[in-house]
Amino acid sequence: MQQEVVLALLAKEPSHGYQLRARLRQALGPIGEAMNAGQVYVVLTRLEKAGLVTTERPELATGPAAAPTADRKTYALTPKGQQRVAEWMTEVSWPKPDLTEFHLKLVAAAAAGLADPLSIVDTQRRELLRRLREAQRAAMAEPDGAEAGLLLEGIVLRLQADLRWLEACERSWTTRRSTS
Amino acid sequence: MLLAIAAATTTLTLGLAIHGVASDPFQSSRETTAGPDVTAVIMPDPEGGAVDPAVLDGLTGADGVVDHSGPYPVAGATLTHGDRTMDVQAVGRDTEPAAVDRPAVTDGDWVRGGGVVVEAAFAEATGLQVGDPVTLAGRSFEVAGIAVTTALVPYPWTTCLVHCVLGQLPEGMRSAPGAVREPGTVWLTVTDVEEIASGPLSYVSYLKLADPDDAQAFVDAHNQDQPGAPRLEPWQHTFEQVTHLERNSQRVLTTGGWLLGILAVASVAVLVGGRMADQTQRVGLLKAVGATPGLVAAILLTAHVAVALLASAAGLVAGRLTAPLLSERTPGLIGAAGDPALTLRTIAIVTAVALGVAVTATLVPAIRSARTSTVDALNDAARPPRRVGWLVALSSRLPVALLIALRVAGRRPRRVALSIASMTVTVSGVVAAMAANAQLAAQPILDADTETQRLGELLLIITVTLIALAAVNTIVVTWATVLDVRHASALTRALGATPAQLSAGLSFAQVLPAFVGAVLGVGGGLVLYTAVDPDEVPLPPVWWLAALVPGVMLAVAALTAVPARLAARRPVAPLLQAELA
Amino acid sequence: MSSILSTRGLTRTYGDGESLVRAVDGVDLDVAAGETVAVMGPSGCGKSTLLHLVGGLDRASGGEIHLAGRRVDQLTERALARLRRTDVGFVFQAFHLMDELTVIENVELPALLAGRSPRAARARATELLRRVGLDAKGDALPTALSGGQRQRVAVARALSNEPVLVLADEPTGNLDSAATLDVLRLFEDLHEAGQTLVIVTHDERIAATADRLISMRDGAFVDETRLTGGTTGHLGALAGLEG
Repeated sequence: MQQEVVLALLAKEPSHGYQLRARLRQALGPIGEAMNAGQVYVVLTRLEKAGLVTTERPELATGPAAAPTADRKTYALTPKGQQRVAEWMTEVSWPKPDLTEFHLKLVAAAAAGLADPLSIVDTQRRELLRRLREAQRAAMAEPDGAEAGLLLEGIVLRLQADLRWLEACERSWTTRRSTS
Repeated sequence: MLLAIAAATTTLTLGLAIHGVASDPFQSSRETTAGPDVTAVIMPDPEGGAVDPAVLDGLTGADGVVDHSGPYPVAGATLTHGDRTMDVQAVGRDTEPAAVDRPAVTDGDWVRGGGVVVEAAFAEATGLQVGDPVTLAGRSFEVAGIAVTTALVPYPWTTCLVHCVLGQLPEGMRSAPGAVREPGTVWLTVTDVEEIASGPLSYVSYLKLADPDDAQAFVDAHNQDQPGAPRLEPWQHTFEQVTHLERNSQRVLTTGGWLLGILAVASVAVLVGGRMADQTQRVGLLKAVGATPGLVAAILLTAHVAVALLASAAGLVAGRLTAPLLSERTPGLIGAAGDPALTLRTIAIVTAVALGVAVTATLVPAIRSARTSTVDALNDAARPPRRVGWLVALSSRLPVALLIALRVAGRRPRRVALSIASMTVTVSGVVAAMAANAQLAAQPILDADTETQRLGELLLIITVTLIALAAVNTIVVTWATVLDVRHASALTRALGATPAQLSAGLSFAQVLPAFVGAVLGVGGGLVLYTAVDPDEVPLPPVWWLAALVPGVMLAVAALTAVPARLAARRPVAPLLQAELA
Repeated sequence: MSSILSTRGLTRTYGDGESLVRAVDGVDLDVAAGETVAVMGPSGCGKSTLLHLVGGLDRASGGEIHLAGRRVDQLTERALARLRRTDVGFVFQAFHLMDELTVIENVELPALLAGRSPRAARARATELLRRVGLDAKGDALPTALSGGQRQRVAVARALSNEPVLVLADEPTGNLDSAATLDVLRLFEDLHEAGQTLVIVTHDERIAATADRLISMRDGAFVDETRLTGGTTGHLGALAGLEG
């Protein structure tokens, strides 16, 4: 979980940790379910140490149930934190699709006769298809217009792109095998 | 399209050419032959002796008579040619041309001793030709020539110059002794006539009046209703007789020409519409590369105008070639016997009509296609079908074939209207022809050989052309419809309609408008016939009319069966697949 | 498991001699009742032809087709039409709705063709439209609908005569991402209702949701993947949430 995500979620207003978690789950849908419950707090603690957020502990010590817990803390951005969020908004970083490894795997397998590149491609495709199936089913389960649906669509489209690349790999290696 | 316009222009040319010829053949013939204004005949008393030709001289000196010829002797005789025997009235003439009534020789020469000249209509009917040997009252003659006159009504309604019988003799009446039956007219020298005469001669004089319009008055003034007095006939009488049938055939021709024209316009409209639909995508391309709507319309128009010009040229030539076939059947008059002229006016009219047809037929689709949005045109070729809601609702209550038929018809209401119109026109024409035939049959006919038969043939030709054009039209419409709905048909079959249901549906889609058209046409035909010939309207037998409607439907069903079946049998998959491309 | 559909050595060739094309070349296919099978392959691999053969829109050059326990490859054209009417429902890429008919008239058409009473056909169509979530659009013309809605109408139409088999040819080929999802959901509903589905597509998304995925190349089946089975729990990883 990126620190900037949590920072940005605090930019609107100071929030409790559980509020942040609920917001994340809403945006991530079924993907958020895989998220560790304590993960948000780990990140918040780190941010606090870095001086990007401050905590306020409300003085509501009335009654035994009001014992201060981590959940009762309100987190807010420091000026430094605000600056960090602003910077993050302008960043253009993008997750790298790491195809190099798989590509080199095929090359090496063919060169050393370790395995048939085509069967590697085939296995990989089945794997990707399973992932696609899962993502697609998750997407179909989301109601129309859900925030998470958009994320799932992105995942589906990406897997589709990967599958098409695998198809290209298969074509290419089929030709290479038949011409060598 | 070329064919449709060509067919239409051919008929139009024909109509106009005949029109030009027949407009006043009698007048022109009268001028050429110096036709008399009054014909005066004096016949011998059947019971008694000879008459004195000098009686006629009294008339030639009468007031208003400016010129005359005769009296000429006339004898009834029997003419034998080969083994055929016919009655004739032989008119004795001088070898020199007379002042009044100079029969115009169309073939051979004028009379000479031993040479006989035959009246043209009679020659036509009997097949007599120049040089043929004939026997008159036992004496041998040779046909010296064939000539046209306006002094008497041509065969077979020959004006009798001797005692004669035309048609069936009424019950109980005996013909006068020595009377001839349905005589033709021949001219001989005076001497020859006197030689072949077996009894007293008749005499005929031809009078020219100062004012031809006074002929009837002159006749009224001088006719004496007593035996031995000359019988007078004004030229108008001959004119009436001669031109009655002539006018009829002309009306038949012009009406037929119009009917054919309307049909041709209808089929051209369908064809052009169909082509337009095909061309929509091309229009889109043209526009995409920068053609303005005006330019697009111009391009389409040019293409069709070129076709129209070509077709009208073909039609003019064809019409010019066929016109004589019809007019040659108009014997007995000079003008008609000659070639129908292909005047500039005719050419201009025909070309204008052809162009008009092409332009009207193109303009609507051209403007529409030019106005279509370029993107729409590129994306989807055909005009979107229309929706006729009540028809769809109605059709869902009907058997599958009718359901398909109604929906197919409902997609293109205008084309259905066109089919109805085309069928109405055709059936009108056929009914009018039938009525005319019935009238012909009802007339007391002397000899079915000539005039009547000629008119009958004319009617037949026009009827056949009408039917042929309507048949072509029906097939064209069916084919256009089949192409138009090929996608829907394929889909309907994919959804489980059998080929038989589909082809029945496609046929029905044509038969339904044909039914409406036929019913309208029966009514329209009678109206049309009444308009053409207001005098006498003997209706054709009712069962004919009644049989016409189912007959038309059967014919349309048969005509559409082939394209519909072909369409219904086509494999479905490629069509549905092609849409994906 | 009983097969609703099975083919043996199914072959379809075009042309002859030098130019002989084997569009479908000896295909053995078995589809169990209630199964969703996707056939994937590049365009021109013969997958559409296979679908047309199975649905009786095209005739095989060789081999056998058995549908619902009946051999159908030798039926007459008329019997084939009946078969298409009662046993098979088609869904096409281009929707193939009749533009001049309203949505509900499109849906009731197969029932009318099958000789049902107008009242029964209308009732069935109304029910089907409700099922695909378009009961409010019954009187609209297809042109007024979005692509996804049109395809749902087409699916409703395919179901009109309760076919034993629904055949879909690139059902999402003309649809955007959201509409594709719509149609996929609809297919999933059908699947859950026990409808047997054969879908040919080159869209991996549809293929991935099928029970079984068959790859086709040059008219023949080259690979078969059964995709059903436990979830792999990869969602989080896919989203990059780990690490």
